[in-house]
Amino acid sequence: MFSVIYKKFFLIVSALIFAVSFLIIGVFGLSYSIDFTGGALLEVRYETAPGKTVVEGAAATQNLGSVSVRETSLGDRGNGYLIRTRDLSEDERIALEDALLAIGEGASIERYTTVGPTIGAELSSKALWAIALVSLVIILYVAYAFAGIGKPVSAWIYGLITIVVLIHDVIVPTAMMSLLGYFTGAEVDVLFVMAVLAVLGYSVNDTIVVFDRVRENLQANRTEKRTKIVEPGGIEREEVEYTLTKPFPEIIGPAVTETLGRSINTSLTTLLALTALYFLGGSLTQNFALVLMAGVVAGTYSSICMAVPLLVAYESWQAKKMKVEVVTPK
Amino acid sequence: MNQSDRPKDTSISSGTETFIRMFRATVVIVVLAMIGYFVYNNATNPEASRPFKLGLDLAGGSHLVYEADVSSVTPAEVPALMAVLKDVIERRINVFGVSEPIIQVEESSFAAAEKQHRLVVELPGVTDVEAAVAEIGRTPLLEFKLIDAEAEAAQASVASLQANISAGTGISSGTSSGTSSGAAVVGNIKVNGEAVADLNPYIETGLTGRYLESAALEFAGSQSGQLSNEPIVSIRFTAEGADLFEKITRDNVGERLAIFLDGVIISAPRINEAISGGTAVVSGGFNLDEAKELSQNLNFGALPVPIMLVSTQTIGASLGADVLEKGVLAGVIGLLTVIGFMVLWYRLSGIIAGFALIMYVVLMLALFQLIPVTLTAAGLAGFILSLGMAVDANVLVFERMKEEMRAGKSSRAAAREGFRRAWSAIRDGNATSILSAIILFWFGTSIVKGFALVFGIGVVMSMFSAIVLTRTLLIAMPDRSLSDSKLMRFLYGSGFTRS
Repeated sequence: MFSVIYKKFFLIVSALIFAVSFLIIGVFGLSYSIDFTGGALLEVRYETAPGKTVVEGAAATQNLGSVSVRETSLGDRGNGYLIRTRDLSEDERIALEDALLAIGEGASIERYTTVGPTIGAELSSKALWAIALVSLVIILYVAYAFAGIGKPVSAWIYGLITIVVLIHDVIVPTAMMSLLGYFTGAEVDVLFVMAVLAVLGYSVNDTIVVFDRVRENLQANRTEKRTKIVEPGGIEREEVEYTLTKPFPEIIGPAVTETLGRSINTSLTTLLALTALYFLGGSLTQNFALVLMAGVVAGTYSSICMAVPLLVAYESWQAKKMKVEVVTPK
Repeated sequence: MNQSDRPKDTSISSGTETFIRMFRATVVIVVLAMIGYFVYNNATNPEASRPFKLGLDLAGGSHLVYEADVSSVTPAEVPALMAVLKDVIERRINVFGVSEPIIQVEESSFAAAEKQHRLVVELPGVTDVEAAVAEIGRTPLLEFKLIDAEAEAAQASVASLQANISAGTGISSGTSSGTSSGAAVVGNIKVNGEAVADLNPYIETGLTGRYLESAALEFAGSQSGQLSNEPIVSIRFTAEGADLFEKITRDNVGERLAIFLDGVIISAPRINEAISGGTAVVSGGFNLDEAKELSQNLNFGALPVPIMLVSTQTIGASLGADVLEKGVLAGVIGLLTVIGFMVLWYRLSGIIAGFALIMYVVLMLALFQLIPVTLTAAGLAGFILSLGMAVDANVLVFERMKEEMRAGKSSRAAAREGFRRAWSAIRDGNATSILSAIILFWFGTSIVKGFALVFGIGVVMSMFSAIVLTRTLLIAMPDRSLSDSKLMRFLYGSGFTRS
């Protein structure tokens, strides 16, 4: 199978994806929404919208410190602006709303959100905790579910590889978010965290399906050797030793081929649903859909072209190390 | 057709089996159709008992988060006080006339630096947040505080001193009525002027509106036969409050007890004797309307602890309706394209999977109505995402089934084997998703909880739809092999191949 044969190539490509994603995030950064930073967000809609500078001017007269104004399209319902400020008091909010309503025809306040700084800070730590805890549960579950997989690679390595793959699958959509933020002003909000968590779920599912096939093929291609050992004290214990009938990569290769159809088809159906959400679901969830699409593509790529090469590479590294260990005492 | 390689469905026992298979498939379809009708009826009938519950971001409305200041009460009392606070605000909002408000007590998670107690108020349909906030905030906070006579005198003399200084008159006339201790304090102020701000003549007693049982409008003098009929508010304390009140009055006979309403002193009667029985009178030169409003407000809820508005969110109804409409459209189109793909790629199996996907949607919608799950924009997006992921278990099974059929098994045997062998992958893949959903639900704020719930039951239902529904239907199909005919090869094939 290609990803086993060209494992070096795919590992280099994967490393490049990591590097580029980190570079993007490092250069463009992420802009956090008021969900995390605290502050106020106000959306105003106009039937005949004034220019952006007019809106900025009206907001500036309120002396609210730095105010960011972003255009939003509301389709056939006219044009709108999103105005982001610091946390506002009731009086300040009313004054700002009046100022904005006065400058355009058919104006109405569509939504208004303020988040106190403590709530924002709490949400950030909550989000990080949730992501960390979900990752921990995943590695534990994978190690548990594949506990019987035995030689030549221990179940914990499957768990670890799953985590490396998960990091990849989270970094890619985060880089996507970073680009979106730089070019369209999109902000990291609660929806983004949910998208990331959904990607975690999707990606681990993908990787587990591949590993499941690896497990099955390993079990089909090994011979058992049972030896009874009588321990001092008369306790009888049976030791089972498995020997693979084929080299490890030759067993893993078919596993990828066999799951390839499923991996691609499931990601296609998911992408179809997300495409519908992106084009028809309205502006509120557009970035959510885009981030998820990036995550799904990354998840499919990584389960095939990263998880398996990593597994094979680890096995050959381990085999080499074992040989060295056997040789050195002589 | 070559059917010699497997038993024909002609014997009595296999006839019964066929009947059972067909019966099961029929039951599945009929039950799902009934659930579908139930969902449709609930969604369209305005008087339905279980309509879809729309979140504020879809229905429009206000979402307010208050933080309770519980610094003055012991931690053990907090839960009970928060419950009282919730009841009080609930009554308050009901007076305001909002249909189906949601009032919840929330605690900050352990991830927060300091434990905070919050009250989340959701007002569907209310976009005039200003009026709502005013209505909630107007509820009075009643406090009883003892007056430290010395400190009060000192404060009074400082005030008169300052007034005199600003008026240009001398010190002597200002302090003529002051006590010796008052003068001493004034002397102190000369040394350290900042001490003025620290002077607090009011001593907390711990007696607040939380011990209030009822309040009533009365007229002073109506009992003692005096001519005065100044409107007053009589207060009845709870048993606990009555004990506290008795203790305070017994220990401080001769002192004055100030009654504060929302931090403003309204009267400070002198304590003549220990008062048992748990009643007190608030008089502060009210007119009839003021006294009436105060007694009502106190009855409707003197807040047990002070609260502070920390977050508000308002969504216009038209914006919400727009989001909902677009979300539904995206969902329908998403569903159709996924089904279209499955039918084109997996043919006969795809048709069954499409059927199972529609059943999945029906089941999910029924659960949304029955639990009920409050639908939000995020929840809707999560549901649309789940449409694409829900066919995963089917795809896993179909790919397995294809392998088995190529190996020579008949369609029914292949289906059984496909489900059996795909199970471990389905189980392990979905178990992690379910665990993630549980963590999210446990951790999340209300928005995240909604998403986690949709995500979690989505995973469970998609497993159910694949393992029970698709399996039942697939096994009810006539048993055929790939070698039977070109048509069979086509129907059970997939992708771009003809067979």
